[in-house]
Amino acid sequence: MEIVDYIQFVLAPQMINGLALGIAVILVALGLTIIFGLLDVINMSHGEFYAIGAFGALSLALVGVNFWILLAAVPLLMAPLGFLVERLLIRRVFDSKDRHVSTLLLTFGLSLILEDTLRALYGPNTHRVDAPVSGASDLFGIIVPNYRLLLIAIGVIVICVVAFVTYRTRLGAVVRAASYDRFMTSSLGVPVSWIYAGTFAVGVSLAGLAGVLLAPLYSVFPTMGRDFILLAFSVVIVGGMGSIWGAVIAGLLLTQVQALASLVISPVWTDPIVFGTMVVFLMFRPQGLFGRIGHA
Amino acid sequence: MENIKRTAAAAVIFSAFAAPSVALAADAIKIGVVTPLSGTYAAVGQPVRWGLELAAREINVAGGVGGRQITLIFEDEEANPSVAVQKAERLFQVENVDFLTGMVNSGSTLAVGQLAERNNKLASTTVSFADSITAEKCSPNLFRFNARAEQQSYALTSWLGKERPKAKVFGIGPDYEMGRSSVAALKAGAAKNKVAIVGEVFAPLDSKDYSQYFGQIRSARPDTIYTSVAGNDTVRLLTQLDEFGILRNTSIVGSSGTITSQNLAAVGKASEGYITGTGYSPKLDTTENKKFVGAYRAMFKVDPDLFAADSYSLLYAYKAAVEKAGSTDTDKVRDALRGLSWQTPEGEKTIRAGDNQAMQPMYIVKISKGQFDVVGDVRAEDAIGPDQCTRF
Repeated sequence: MEIVDYIQFVLAPQMINGLALGIAVILVALGLTIIFGLLDVINMSHGEFYAIGAFGALSLALVGVNFWILLAAVPLLMAPLGFLVERLLIRRVFDSKDRHVSTLLLTFGLSLILEDTLRALYGPNTHRVDAPVSGASDLFGIIVPNYRLLLIAIGVIVICVVAFVTYRTRLGAVVRAASYDRFMTSSLGVPVSWIYAGTFAVGVSLAGLAGVLLAPLYSVFPTMGRDFILLAFSVVIVGGMGSIWGAVIAGLLLTQVQALASLVISPVWTDPIVFGTMVVFLMFRPQGLFGRIGHA
Repeated sequence: MENIKRTAAAAVIFSAFAAPSVALAADAIKIGVVTPLSGTYAAVGQPVRWGLELAAREINVAGGVGGRQITLIFEDEEANPSVAVQKAERLFQVENVDFLTGMVNSGSTLAVGQLAERNNKLASTTVSFADSITAEKCSPNLFRFNARAEQQSYALTSWLGKERPKAKVFGIGPDYEMGRSSVAALKAGAAKNKVAIVGEVFAPLDSKDYSQYFGQIRSARPDTIYTSVAGNDTVRLLTQLDEFGILRNTSIVGSSGTITSQNLAAVGKASEGYITGTGYSPKLDTTENKKFVGAYRAMFKVDPDLFAADSYSLLYAYKAAVEKAGSTDTDKVRDALRGLSWQTPEGEKTIRAGDNQAMQPMYIVKISKGQFDVVGDVRAEDAIGPDQCTRF
């Protein structure tokens, strides 16, 4: 009886909470892994695009836009931003000799500018966004806030849609072909540079969507991009740079490790466990759990 | 609100200039205030500012300090020790302030205390709880005008020991000087009053999601949760505890700064039944307090809280000390402050000469229907522990 009680009262709530966090991290990591897998660009400003999505949700909610409309409107509004960033900035250094270093520095610089712009526009304080649903559900004696359940549900749908488009549609096949061999693909008449810009825009939109979804849970503030980006990078590295399913599995695994470890050690100390796992993967299995989209 | 603040500030400045020139009143006395005006603790800095502004106006209208008007100079501490030190340095060096107060983060108070010592000036806090400020890390140049963690915890645990002798308490503190100190003080008080502590956990200041800490709370199965978070952290912690159903079978107790008039509305129904050991409630039934609450409400349209009352009282202690010393000279004012007793909205306060810590009566306050009801009190001498400062 005591064990059942422990599972119901202590273990299960902790694991469900870990699942909600896992979905949140995967949502942020999804855009990151797509941009890396296809464009071979390590997007250091991804966290700030996530923050822009959250601030967008905050601003639109203030003028009375419904949360469900925000879910579609914010990603749509952010797509042109992503498109322009790719066309105007990334493209300029994309063909340079050391693409990794130059795009990493470029996007890092961009992240600093974006964060300071948010601070200048909205001030340093934390803002609250109300969740569209309140209250909690009682699942077999486990109390879970409704919004976390909703987050898990929407997160699963988004992940499945992205995976379906990438692996099961003609568009996805074209995109994967462009990333595998862009010269061969363009010789077949595919506008590869537009595909690249479009993919970057989709990655940025996904970051924006994550921002909208996570704003009610984690509040909105200018430096919010930093909070998730380290965890998201660990997920992308452990999962295998560019692999969608890798990111999903790594995201779920790492957050469960974090959730269960925080039962016995202070939650503050679970970060070293997560980053330690990432370092171990970099040492012994640098390609991560799975390959990358273009090479899968 | 902005308008009221501006009007109030203008009133202070105006009265500074409009004062009749007495022979003594060559210059205004400049007091620096380094307090959080943005961030997690903005809700704490605001009442500090208002308490000081109200006292400054009253004192200036009544003729100032020994004929000299008071000017307050505000800087944003951002609840960040390194920012606090920069701002304090500027106030000491550039503005040449005579006295400094306002720090909220205990780390800021300790750092500014050291800075005051190097500059041979006086600094003070009316908010920071960490015991070390007037114990092992005490400074002859640093005064504390509010009740520290030990005084609050003693009051709270003596009440728990009496009213809920079988309580199993779990402590959650912010992960820095104040949080660690307040939970340690809780444990010390609990040992004296035979209250069981079943666990403790510390979350970083300004945590957005406390749910990852709930696993340890659940495993310990407490019936009472103690917390010393403050400002917006309180709003998030209590809302999330409520959302995850933990408040269904536990009650909340905590430090005096956790729920105040400033964040009460945002905390909402999770505040009902909250119990704390504190130095102040707006409902204290004394003449001084009624006068203070009336004036504060008239000026800012809200009830004062602990931080406002302590900051308001501070300025009157400083006035008494400067008038007794006959100057704002650091050594003379320090001597005058030590052992000083004065009347405040919280009752009579005395600065203990041995460690620069204010002694005051403590109250047990319970929040019911949004009111801070006083349900018990503890004498000043009982709540304060021995003087642990060995530096002076």
